[in-house]
Amino acid sequence: MEESVVTFNAFHHVAWGTTISVYFWLVGASAGSFVISSFGWVFGIKRYKPLTMTASVTAIIMLLIVPFLLTWDLGKPMRFIYLLIPGYWHSTGPMAWGTMLICLYPMSMIVYSYFVIQHNQTFARVFGIVAIVLALSTHWYTGVVMELNPGRFLNHTALAPLLFLTGAFISGIGLMNVIVTIRNLLVPAVKRYDWALIHEMSQFMMYGIVFDIFLLFLDFMQTTYGNQNEVMGHTVVLMQVFRFPYLWLELVIGLIIPLIILVTPLKRSLMGAFVASLLVAIGVYGMRVWWVMGGQYLQSFY
Amino acid sequence: MGNPESQSKEPRSFGLQTPGTKGVRGTKRYAMVIDLRKCIGCMSCSVACKTEYGLPLGIWRTWVKVVDKGSYPTTKRVFMPRLCNHCDYPVCVRNCPTQATYKHEDGFVLQRYNRCIGCRTCMVACPYNARHLLPEKRTDGNLPRMVVDKCTFCIHRVKKGLVPSCVQACVGGARIFGDINDPQSEVARLVATETVTVLKPELGTSPSVFYIGGDWEIMDEPHSYTNRTHQVREEFNDFKRNHKGDAFADIVEGEPLMSEVANNWYGYLKTIPHKAKETLNAFKIFLFD
Repeated sequence: MEESVVTFNAFHHVAWGTTISVYFWLVGASAGSFVISSFGWVFGIKRYKPLTMTASVTAIIMLLIVPFLLTWDLGKPMRFIYLLIPGYWHSTGPMAWGTMLICLYPMSMIVYSYFVIQHNQTFARVFGIVAIVLALSTHWYTGVVMELNPGRFLNHTALAPLLFLTGAFISGIGLMNVIVTIRNLLVPAVKRYDWALIHEMSQFMMYGIVFDIFLLFLDFMQTTYGNQNEVMGHTVVLMQVFRFPYLWLELVIGLIIPLIILVTPLKRSLMGAFVASLLVAIGVYGMRVWWVMGGQYLQSFY
Repeated sequence: MGNPESQSKEPRSFGLQTPGTKGVRGTKRYAMVIDLRKCIGCMSCSVACKTEYGLPLGIWRTWVKVVDKGSYPTTKRVFMPRLCNHCDYPVCVRNCPTQATYKHEDGFVLQRYNRCIGCRTCMVACPYNARHLLPEKRTDGNLPRMVVDKCTFCIHRVKKGLVPSCVQACVGGARIFGDINDPQSEVARLVATETVTVLKPELGTSPSVFYIGGDWEIMDEPHSYTNRTHQVREEFNDFKRNHKGDAFADIVEGEPLMSEVANNWYGYLKTIPHKAKETLNAFKIFLFD
C-alpha cells in the first residue's frame, strides 16, 4: 500500500485532566469507606460498630475535598451555582445529576453520623440506607459521566459503572485498612480496634479484587475484539502511552500483587494485609488516570 | 427524508435531547456540503473564520486537515475542511449540565456564553473536536473568556441572508451552504444527487456537514494518530508544551507519563490564584457596585 501521511492538522487539547481523575478516586474511596461504616449500623454486623465513626469521618473528609477540586476546575468557578438552579439544570446531562448526588451524599452521611453518635439505631439505619444508596449512586455517576460519550471508545462501555464501583469498594477498604492500622499503632492498646477486623476486611477486598480483574478481562475482550478504534485504544493508548497507570499501577501493583498476598499465608501477617491494602488504594488511582486521560487521548489527534 | 411519524412532531429548540429536524416539513435545517474535489487547500476558510470571530492563537472553529498520499512521482495531496457538524442528534447538547449549548430550531447547534460554566463536558462529548475553551487572556477584555466556544454556522450572517464567512471566502466554491429541507436548495440537490458521506456515521449523531469525494484515510480517526509526519508530531508536542498550566490533560509524547500527569496537576494548581482573584472581583462587584 502507498504511503499516506497527515502533514497538517489543527491541534486539540484533552479536556479533562488530573483533577477529574483525582476526584474520581476520592469519590470512590469515600464510597468504599462508607460501605465499611454502614456494616455495623445498617447491616447489623456488630463487630464493625467501633469502626463506624472512623470510616464515616474518612468518607466525609474525602468528599469534602471534592467541591473545591471541581469548582476550581471550572472555567468560571463562580458559575458552579448554575448547576443547582432549576432554570439552568439540564435533566439529560449526567453532570447535572452528579451535582445533586455530590451535594446530597455528604449531607446524608453527616445526618447518619449524627444519629450514630446519638446511638439512635432506628434513624441511623434509615439514614444509613439513604447514605449508602447515595454513596453507590455518586460513584456510579462517575462511571456514567464518561460512559455516555459515544465518541470515546475506551469509556463507552456499560461496564464503566461496575468497574468504578468495584474500584471504589476495594480502594475504600484498602484506605480504611491503612488508616485503622496506623491508628492502632498510635493509640494505647485499650483503644485499638480489633486486629481481626483488618484481616476480615482484607478478605472482602480480595473478593473485590477478583471481581475487578474479571471486569478488566471483559473490558480487554471488548477492546481486543472490538472495532478499529477500540483495538487502537487497547494496543496504543493502554499498552503504550498509558502502560504505566494501566498495566503496572492498576493491574500489577493494584490488583495482582495484593491478590497474591491475600491468597497466600502472607495474609495472616499484619504487614501483609497492610501492604496489600496500601497497594490497592494506590493502584486504583492508576485506573482513574487511564480511564479519564486515556479515554480522550486518541481523539485529540483527529 | 424523514418519516411520517417524525414529520408530525413539533421540534424543540432546546432543553431535552432535540429531535432531528432533517426532512421534517415546515422546518428549516441548515447544512453544509463540502465538495472536496474543488478544495485546493488554500485555508482561506480558516482565515476568514479567524477574522470573523477574532479567534486567539491555536484555536480554530474551522480548519483544513491535509494528507499526502502516494510516493514520488505519483503523489496526491488531499484536504478535508473540518468544522462543527451541527449534528441532528448532538451529544454535546444532551450532556451539557446547564443548557448552555442548544439546538436552534433551524438546526444550528449554538453556545450561550452566559450559561457556560467551563466544565468542558461538551468538549469530551463532541466526537469531532469541534469545541474549544476560550483562553483567559484575550486582546479585548470584553470578549468571552474561559467558556466553551464553537462554530455557529455564522448564524448572525445567515439571519441577514448571507452565507457563513467560510463559504463566502472559499475560492473554489467547495463549500455550499443552505436549507437541506428545501428541495430547491443547492445543498438538498447535491445531497440527493451526489455520493456524499459524513464523519463518524457509526456514532448516530446525524451530522449536517456532508462531504463529496471524501478520502477514507483522511476521515479515519486512528489514521490521524498512526500516520503523522515527524514534523506534525513535534509541532503538536510544542503546542502542548506551550499550553502547560492550562489545566488540560495534554501528554507530550516521549516524556514520562506520570511526570506529565504531575505537570497537569501543577497546571491546575497554578490556575487557582487567578481564578480566586476573579472570584473575589465578582464578589466585590456583587456587593459594592
